[in-house]
Amino acid sequence: MSLLTIENLRVSFPGEQGAVEVVKGISFELGRERLGIVGESGSGKSMTGRSILRLIDKPGKVTADRMEFDGLDLTTLSNKRMRALRGARMSMVMQDPKFSLNPVMRIGDQIAEVLSFHSKLNARERRKRVLESLEAVRITDPERVYKLYPHEVSGGMGQRIMIAMMVILEPDLMIADEPTSALDVSVQAQVLDIMDDLVTRTGMGLIIISHDLNMVARYCDRILVMFNGEIVESCQASELANAQHPYTQGLLASTPTIDEHRDRLPVLDRTQLGGV
Amino acid sequence: MIDLKHLSIAYGETSVVKDVTLHVPEGGSFALVGESGSGKSTILKAIAGQITNWTGRIRLGDHDLQHGRDPALIRLCQMVFQDPFGSLHPRKTVDTILSEPLSIHGIGDQNQRVLETLDAVGLARKFRFRLPHQLSGGQRQRVAIARALMLDPPVMLLDEPTSALDVSVQAEVLNLLKTLREERGLTYFLVTHDLPVVSFLCDNLGILRQGELVELATVDQLKQQQFSSDYGNELLSKSF
Repeated sequence: MSLLTIENLRVSFPGEQGAVEVVKGISFELGRERLGIVGESGSGKSMTGRSILRLIDKPGKVTADRMEFDGLDLTTLSNKRMRALRGARMSMVMQDPKFSLNPVMRIGDQIAEVLSFHSKLNARERRKRVLESLEAVRITDPERVYKLYPHEVSGGMGQRIMIAMMVILEPDLMIADEPTSALDVSVQAQVLDIMDDLVTRTGMGLIIISHDLNMVARYCDRILVMFNGEIVESCQASELANAQHPYTQGLLASTPTIDEHRDRLPVLDRTQLGGV
Repeated sequence: MIDLKHLSIAYGETSVVKDVTLHVPEGGSFALVGESGSGKSTILKAIAGQITNWTGRIRLGDHDLQHGRDPALIRLCQMVFQDPFGSLHPRKTVDTILSEPLSIHGIGDQNQRVLETLDAVGLARKFRFRLPHQLSGGQRQRVAIARALMLDPPVMLLDEPTSALDVSVQAEVLNLLKTLREERGLTYFLVTHDLPVVSFLCDNLGILRQGELVELATVDQLKQQQFSSDYGNELLSKSF
């Protein structure tokens, strides 16, 4: 049975000339697997991720024929039930740890906040769980990091702390919105490995939202390519090289490779794609 | 064209760049790669004259760089920054942004020069009186490149010029940079962590680690993935 079912999801925002639709009726299913959603800025990929967690506020409007998470209907769930779901059963890792962590709260206390909201553990048990979760994201001296403030840690460690916070309750679904684009190349791989490891160990579903085709192809089982609010391509990660849609092919071709012998890179012809 | 000899930079006790010596020939394209904190941007800032407390020698063409304000340097090299959303003044039109360097240096014929440069970077003339927020990321980066070209400098310093851009837009900007270099015989000094970009745009590269130059390599070594240092190969294995 699939973990998440989305049918005909639409997200729109009011504009001067009527509503602007940023996600135009997409449908997909997610099992306990790693799904990558790829697209450029403005393709609606982040809006898709946010609407699953119901994080789109007015004046944005989200409609869907069906939006089910593990048998629960996300479109009709009360805000209170939704709050109980977020963080505990589905969670989201944001792009930049610098802006997503509370700057005036110690890291350990921030992670423990999730536990005090969702569980009945006492302070000592909470502390123990936090230290374990920090260790799970390969932070070698959790006792020290527990007491630090966000400005005292590096970007890579900040992102690992975000992940620790998101997985401490072992959610069934994790959505990672550009989890590595604010990070240095050398730590990107490490952060992705940690996420990968957690996914295989706990068997949760993972959605990685990214603009980086190659990264997603390496870490996901299945890929959805979005363009202009629509899914234009859906394929197994290993089949990406045989992509059918001209947009996907264009994206692949325009990415330089390490062994680059082309004199000029092919450029996407947007007019042909009927886009912006 | 760019000659660094025993360049060292320290902030107080912390030494950030340690005894770096390298040479970029005229018309060459050199990339400095490394992790964040390796000192690659610091070297770039020293060449651009933004940091003055360096020791050693920096030479651009026939010009020895001075510590402190150096008006001659500005005509010699210009910089393109990483984020076109932060590097353009939000309340100045493209026209003002491009003609400002001309006014400062007392160069006439501004109208013609602005139009020529807009053409050179592939921006339609209708964009001339737009404000930065009316442009897309790729168009903004073109404006930033145009601004750097206004004084006709022989050297361009590029600080991660495409990492804030979408993949398809990145291709356009990379093509533009390559064309400009061929047409104008520019010398590029690029700082990046994106090895495929180096492979496309550069002839030589230097690998920097914690302020030390670990390896100088040719782009062919990069293409064949054969660096001589362990650290170089480690970097290769981490990149996608």
